[in-house]
Amino acid sequence: MARRLMLALFSALFVLYVAGPVLWLLSSSLQMESEITAVPPNWLPPHPGMHNFVAIFSAGDSAAYTNRGIAGFLPSGAANLLPSLYNSLQVGLWVAALNLLVSLTAAYAIAVIDFKGRRATLYTVLATRVIPDIALVVPLFLVIRNLGLINSIGALVVTYLAVTVPFTIFILISYFEGIPRDLYRASRIDGCGHWGALRHVYLPLSLPALVAALMFAFLTSWNEFLFALVLTQSAAAQTLPIIIAGFVMDFTTSFSFVNAAGVIAILPPVLLAVIFQRYIVSGLTAGAVKG
Amino acid sequence: MAAITLQGVTKRYGSVTAVQALDLAIHEGEFMVLLGPSGCGKTTTLNMIAGLEEISDGTLLFDANDVTRLPPHQREVAMVFQSYALYPNKTVAENIAFPLKLRRVPKAEIERAVAGVAEQLELTPLLQRRPNQLSGGQRQRVALGRAIVRNPSVFLMDEPLSNLDATLRLSMRSLIKRLHHRLKATFVYVTHDQAEALTLADRIAVMQGGVVQQLDTPEGIYERPANTFVASFLGSPQINLLREGLPRPSWVAEGREVIIGLRPEDVARPAAGLVTLGGRVELVSPLGSETQLEVALGSASVTLRVPKDWRVNEGETLEFGIDPARLHVFDATTERRIAP
Repeated sequence: MARRLMLALFSALFVLYVAGPVLWLLSSSLQMESEITAVPPNWLPPHPGMHNFVAIFSAGDSAAYTNRGIAGFLPSGAANLLPSLYNSLQVGLWVAALNLLVSLTAAYAIAVIDFKGRRATLYTVLATRVIPDIALVVPLFLVIRNLGLINSIGALVVTYLAVTVPFTIFILISYFEGIPRDLYRASRIDGCGHWGALRHVYLPLSLPALVAALMFAFLTSWNEFLFALVLTQSAAAQTLPIIIAGFVMDFTTSFSFVNAAGVIAILPPVLLAVIFQRYIVSGLTAGAVKG
Repeated sequence: MAAITLQGVTKRYGSVTAVQALDLAIHEGEFMVLLGPSGCGKTTTLNMIAGLEEISDGTLLFDANDVTRLPPHQREVAMVFQSYALYPNKTVAENIAFPLKLRRVPKAEIERAVAGVAEQLELTPLLQRRPNQLSGGQRQRVALGRAIVRNPSVFLMDEPLSNLDATLRLSMRSLIKRLHHRLKATFVYVTHDQAEALTLADRIAVMQGGVVQQLDTPEGIYERPANTFVASFLGSPQINLLREGLPRPSWVAEGREVIIGLRPEDVARPAAGLVTLGGRVELVSPLGSETQLEVALGSASVTLRVPKDWRVNEGETLEFGIDPARLHVFDATTERRIAP
């Protein structure tokens, strides 16, 4: 009994630890600046309202500054928030799609086709992820600049693919190797070439792994900060993390505004997670254990 | 229909040779069984015929066409796997229709073909089920259906009955045999089960160590095994192979070291024209229709199968007759068969 009580207590503490900041983010995004900074804090919004979100969505208008009185201070980069949200979505979707396309074909080749040097290929791909990102920033900056891609969404897409593709290949290979080889053989006999085998056998049977790969790529690019900071310099290509971080670094910080922006930032990934939740769980476990 | 010819076909994995310079001519419409213990190269050979394994050396012909480097989907062979290999995300009907769909056969024709195959294999009530809702026997029938729906000229079967229970195996065996009679296609069938090989095959290729040890009709393989390996691989219980204790046929040269083989069933009551031997009965195992005995013969022990009316008890001395003409003689060094 005592054991179960302790278990429940620690579980509750853990949930609070993980969910607490998110709940505070939600709560404070519905409060006025003065209510957020009140002591003792208002755990629940005393006068809940959407004013912060209204401020965000109208920050681009010249008339927006009339909202100041409601939302507190508007940070100087507030007008960039929505464009950066759009940039983030664009980058995330491109990375998710291209990552899957590249990794799928690579993983199929390495897992299924018996060619000379397949193990070496896999290790080479994985080895690229041993180097920490911080060591790559400067060389990557130079390469991207020489390609004329600085301050473009393309720069981010290419860079993030370099991060996500090796891991995705690895996840997909373990998953593919768990699909009975005889199914591949049967499909070849039935009349499939390699594309056919990929389409008719490997794609439908590895749906969980594919969804996991999509989520992984999208979330990685959605959250990424370091490369985005270095490779983009204006609102034309800057992503959400950069813009939101800019709010905090201002001389004055509007917590109500920042928190509302935070809520908007976590919405797409949370939505994705809710939609694909049942696939992700089985996808990650199934990909992890080869069998 | 197609004749299959393997000329010096070799398969190497790194430094390991799985199949060594195999020459094998499979006639059009023939039921050829590749028989051998696991690791003998029979499945590798089948996979090379299918195009699922690359051929390291040698030539593979279908009729007069060189298909050595052709990918599997261009060889027009059908294959049935030990694991059934049904597509788990497709229904029975979709599984059977799949090869036709890939060949862009018109939809109406596909439906007709699937219905026909389903009726032949008694699968009609199962057409909308998925493989995980089927029993092992039903799954293997679906796999057969997927193979025959295309009317291929070559059927390859890789131990298709190994995962089935004994009763089902017997009925599937006769189903396959009837299928062969009806389709008159060339069948290549891999198994390690001698009973399957003997009942199904027109000819059997017994393999070991990547080499065909003997290629002959089932009767020929059983009656005239080419070496001690083939002799002991076929027959249950195994043939008795003794260096001494069994009579040497008179034609064997004096002083030549030989191994004498006696099939357990080649014994009779002592009679004129038979050589009479005797020994203590060590073990009696009644099998219903007959009795299996282990009898001490000098320092060795032989296994005999006798009619059930031979009433013998353990510990008794049994006298039995053997026909010297039924004995198998092998050279003691090469272990190859020697004949008069």
